[in-house]
Amino acid sequence: MPRGQKSKLRAREKRHQARCENQDLGATQAPVAEGESSSSANLLFGDRPQNLPAAETLSIPEALQGAPSTTNTIAPVSCTSSNEGASNQDEKSLGSSREAEGWQEDPLSKKVVSLVHFLLQKYEKKEPITKGDMIKFVIRKDKGHFNEILKRASEHIELAFGVDLKEVDPIRHYYAFFSKLDLTYDETTSDEEKIPKTGLLMIALGVIFMNGNRAPEEAVWEIMNVMGVYADRKHFLYGDPRKVMTKDLVQLKYLEYQQVPDSDPPRYEFLWGPRAHAETSKMKVLEFVAKMHDTVPSAFPSCYEEALRDEEQRAQARVAARAHTAAMANARSRTTSSSFSHAK
Amino acid sequence: MLLKLVLNSSAHCAQPIRNSYRVCSHMQGSTRRMGVMTDVHRRFLQLLMTHGVLEEWDVKRLQRHCYKVHDRNATVDKLEDFINNINSVLESLYIEIKRGVTEDDGRPIYALVNLATTSISKMATDFAENELDLFRKALELIIDSETGFASSTNILNLVDQLKGKKMRKKEAEQVLQKFVQSKWLIEKEGEFTLHGRAILEMEQYIRETYPDAVKICNICHSLLIQGQSCETCGIRMHLPCVAKYFQSNAEPRCPHCNDYWPHEIPEVFDPEKQREAGISKSNKKSLRSRQH
Repeated sequence: MPRGQKSKLRAREKRHQARCENQDLGATQAPVAEGESSSSANLLFGDRPQNLPAAETLSIPEALQGAPSTTNTIAPVSCTSSNEGASNQDEKSLGSSREAEGWQEDPLSKKVVSLVHFLLQKYEKKEPITKGDMIKFVIRKDKGHFNEILKRASEHIELAFGVDLKEVDPIRHYYAFFSKLDLTYDETTSDEEKIPKTGLLMIALGVIFMNGNRAPEEAVWEIMNVMGVYADRKHFLYGDPRKVMTKDLVQLKYLEYQQVPDSDPPRYEFLWGPRAHAETSKMKVLEFVAKMHDTVPSAFPSCYEEALRDEEQRAQARVAARAHTAAMANARSRTTSSSFSHAK
Repeated sequence: MLLKLVLNSSAHCAQPIRNSYRVCSHMQGSTRRMGVMTDVHRRFLQLLMTHGVLEEWDVKRLQRHCYKVHDRNATVDKLEDFINNINSVLESLYIEIKRGVTEDDGRPIYALVNLATTSISKMATDFAENELDLFRKALELIIDSETGFASSTNILNLVDQLKGKKMRKKEAEQVLQKFVQSKWLIEKEGEFTLHGRAILEMEQYIRETYPDAVKICNICHSLLIQGQSCETCGIRMHLPCVAKYFQSNAEPRCPHCNDYWPHEIPEVFDPEKQREAGISKSNKKSLRSRQH
């Protein structure tokens, strides 16, 4: 059963103590509470980290907090013990008095670290990065220093990870990562022998798509066999094709391998996995298939139409995402308004 | 202060030296060796990040691969040293590659975790307010439970108490599946526990937030979600810790109260056996002779 009040109170006290010992700049950066639906994200894991220079306190949790709830959740702790359930505003004023040694000289350092964490997360998830998001979640009221913070964060990431952050859309301020190390697709599937699963996967995706977005296992192997790839025969390139198809690529979420409903004896089929949907598109796969047949995508009319529709949907989704971000940003009226001249 | 030294661009300590990145880690007086970052390490980091969490076997392969690509002739560092080296460089960014062990079968796993946070910032931007609250409720149930598992029913019954937009039970079931897919939770027969990755990322947070409810392993002193417990004195141990501690011990006894240990002793995780099992399961015919 959920924790009782008492133990939470005790937890708060302990943290409060630890916090007072380590000057914690988290407090100084406490944002003004604004009506914000995702406030409890902060409250969920509510308080800021206590024992470390609270770089992260300034980032995500803080960014998502709004009206501070001081009820049964872990409210941000301030250093004057009487304010256990202090609101952010209190904390802010109290915090600033704590901004004594060390951090003074480089108050942006914490933001830089927070931004590094934020960017790495985006990199890991292959999500788009906008200036608006960076400001909203990390930079916050330091947005006047955005360029400097971004520059320093980018430098660190570049030096440690070998990825470059570049602005790909200077009008809407979209950024993307580019690996300086020239990673190939095959590497990202973590196969150091560079087994080109790409080929197998693309063929499979093609068969699945052209078969109406699901393909019985037999159909897939039939095509593979034509290319000299057999499920149970060791392949000089792919190794164990059956394993690659039914396990590896499934585990990596590129494919889904499931029993055909109500099949008895059980038969299996392949579908696109979520990662395939995310990393490629029907059109791209169709282009691949067309190339293999030495022709063009429009040579497969119904598939081509479907691919076109898919492209349109994706474009619309992108627009909607941008608009949503813009709307959120405007509602909070904290972002630089210029960044969000509306996507068409 | 450490952070200042590194992030201050004029600091002598953080200079790119040709294409290696050298950082002095002066952390609270302890002397650490200088970390040197080369493209081998960078490639390794990029690939590790792409996967989120990796098993040790994959990590070793990854490491060898990175050497092969960038520095064929160099001897491959021992993995532990390799990672410590990277961590000494990442320290100033409050990130580290952390090694953990899955609680159920003792497989070593690695993930890149943030050190500067005890909140779940990685989740916070991915999920809505009510979803995060659902996770929090599940987390509390898991921590408070005896087995380390919280039943789907019990979690769903708390759906009315969630902050934010109202969530129906059906929705909540899907959100729980989202957590499973993102490797924050594991599901077994309708019950949920924390994924190894979540434990790696959130251990510090959990220990600080639930200091009284949290369980600790008597052997390794880390956070314990699933494990075995002594029926006499109540101390707990992770399954892999039990396996190691009682390895080839015919009469296992509780390390604390010396009473007979009543549970089945699991086997120590053997990476070689694991791989063989994996291969033979999926492929009956080929790959019969494996060179070692």
